[in-house]
Amino acid sequence: MTKVLMKGNEALGEAAIRAGCVHFFGYPITPQTEVPEYLVKRLPEVGGVFVQAESEIASINMIYGAAGTGVKCLTSSSSPGISLMAEGLSYIAACELPCVLINIMRAGPGLGGILPAQSDYHQATRGHGHGDYQLIVLAPASVQEAVDLMMLAFDLSERYRNPVMVCADGMIGQMMEPVEFPTEGAGEPMAENEWALTGCEGRERRIVNSLYLSPEDLNEHNKKLKAKYDLIAEKETRHEVYGEHEGADILVVAFGTMARIVKSAIDDLQSEGVKVALFRPITLKPWPYKAGRATMDALAPDAPVLTVEMSMGQMIDDVRLCADGSRRHEFLGEAGGVVPSPEEVAAKIKSLL
Amino acid sequence: MSPAAPQPIRAPGEQLVILVGAYGSGKTEVAVNLAIRWARAGLRVKLADLDLVNPYFRSREQQRVMEGHGVHVVVPPGKLAGADLPIVLPEVVGLLQPEPDTISLLDVGGDEVGARVLGSFRPNLHEGAYELWQVVNGSRPFTANPAGCHAIRAELEAASRLRVTGLVGNTHLIDETEVETVLGGWRLVEQVAKESGLPVRAVGIRNELAADPALAEITAPVLELDRRMLPPWIPGQSDGHGGCNRDRKPAPRPIGVPPRLRAQDSRGEVDGVHPD
Repeated sequence: MTKVLMKGNEALGEAAIRAGCVHFFGYPITPQTEVPEYLVKRLPEVGGVFVQAESEIASINMIYGAAGTGVKCLTSSSSPGISLMAEGLSYIAACELPCVLINIMRAGPGLGGILPAQSDYHQATRGHGHGDYQLIVLAPASVQEAVDLMMLAFDLSERYRNPVMVCADGMIGQMMEPVEFPTEGAGEPMAENEWALTGCEGRERRIVNSLYLSPEDLNEHNKKLKAKYDLIAEKETRHEVYGEHEGADILVVAFGTMARIVKSAIDDLQSEGVKVALFRPITLKPWPYKAGRATMDALAPDAPVLTVEMSMGQMIDDVRLCADGSRRHEFLGEAGGVVPSPEEVAAKIKSLL
Repeated sequence: MSPAAPQPIRAPGEQLVILVGAYGSGKTEVAVNLAIRWARAGLRVKLADLDLVNPYFRSREQQRVMEGHGVHVVVPPGKLAGADLPIVLPEVVGLLQPEPDTISLLDVGGDEVGARVLGSFRPNLHEGAYELWQVVNGSRPFTANPAGCHAIRAELEAASRLRVTGLVGNTHLIDETEVETVLGGWRLVEQVAKESGLPVRAVGIRNELAADPALAEITAPVLELDRRMLPPWIPGQSDGHGGCNRDRKPAPRPIGVPPRLRAQDSRGEVDGVHPD
């Protein structure tokens, strides 16, 4: 199949169609607006539905409705817009409805700025709405990986009846890279199931609802959700190790764009003989603790772990949980759209050896 | 005025060149390279960044590099350069008036949305007093064939209320560009030229491929492209990077460039022009 040159945002839109999603509800915001711009052109070609909602609150509730009818559906936004979706997302997770959302993160807090950031990590991985729920969160580091993870997102959302977030910083959304799509044309719609509201003629009525009047029933529902999240944590972690970690003198942990910058720094340092490796979580939720711990355990005895983020330090909480006291932790991070350069990452690594 | 470059890329008789094209066709990379090429050939060059639709990867990111080559760059001042606001400076209107020995370049945002801003300059632009070049990248989803390129051109002309006067071939896949990619792009733009009657003003080719003998069939002037709009993981460049680190000083202690990047980053000409 021939490669095409696409912006991350466009590629995410096309990947959704290839995954069988032809229902989009969203509202524009920089730096993710090319997702709806692309889909408004493409969806009519495949008989799909595109609605520009009046707000992000409306978008997520349209997703709630569409997902309830058993169609694959997508919304997309950037940080402040995702904040507005918190309540609706909690309802969707409570009702165990599959859907996919994209967060192309920009610098915060508040209105912040339009440049890339990774400062919605806590929001994405700690269930940013109310109640005991979890998302599955996938973090691509290239446009091709954005395509692959988008297709995976629809699979996972359907398999676990859970919302899945593709969480990328603005750089992944805005940059162009050659991509290849694994399939031609629009993908298959969601399989027949036992829960979707499709019209009850000739069968028992189905109900999608997150209100539980009995505390015992709600307790049971939470336990059922917890068991599902535990299963996801057991089966669905993904990660990459870059460089030789066995006996390395330092391990760097980074995701998304930051991981690519770290790779450039590692390439340089390795040619100088520095023993350094990168651990890159691809699933931010569930975090690949087991693989992370195995990687850390293989380092040289006193090797520190350096977390690098485009934030003031959020994923470092998970890195600490992963190490569970076994390693010394260091941090490098910038915010506001300032991105640590390969040179700065390399200098920081060297300062710790 | 014909630029004294090895293979002249002419803006025949005129000194105002406006670059338009489908979203992501590479207008900015072409604009920045053309500006530097013409400036190095001894021309006075002014470039206005009129991209009102992209938040990242705009020609303003190369402001310091271009200014190092003597290009006068017109962009919103200070912090406003990083805003996603549709700012059009009054100075742009000045660029539309012919000036002796000066080439003015307008780098316009993509698609009809980006080209709409040109409509407001229509009263200042007379037929024959400007060159409007459509940049074509055949690796992009909506311009992979002549029909797609014609359709985009019609939209660009309707939005800008101007006529396209020439084509710039710019088919590439960034780091994965091969000679075949370039040749396929040349055949595409040649076909578009044949069907539309428009001349091919230039074909952009990455500098490491430009000398390949297999590209001899390209009869249009070749614009050798230095890749300038870089993502932040390619080290060693103080400007650019999609607008990140805009006001930051370059890292104090630059380290070497990884071998796989060296081919595209060791051209030398950018060195020595970092103003700080």
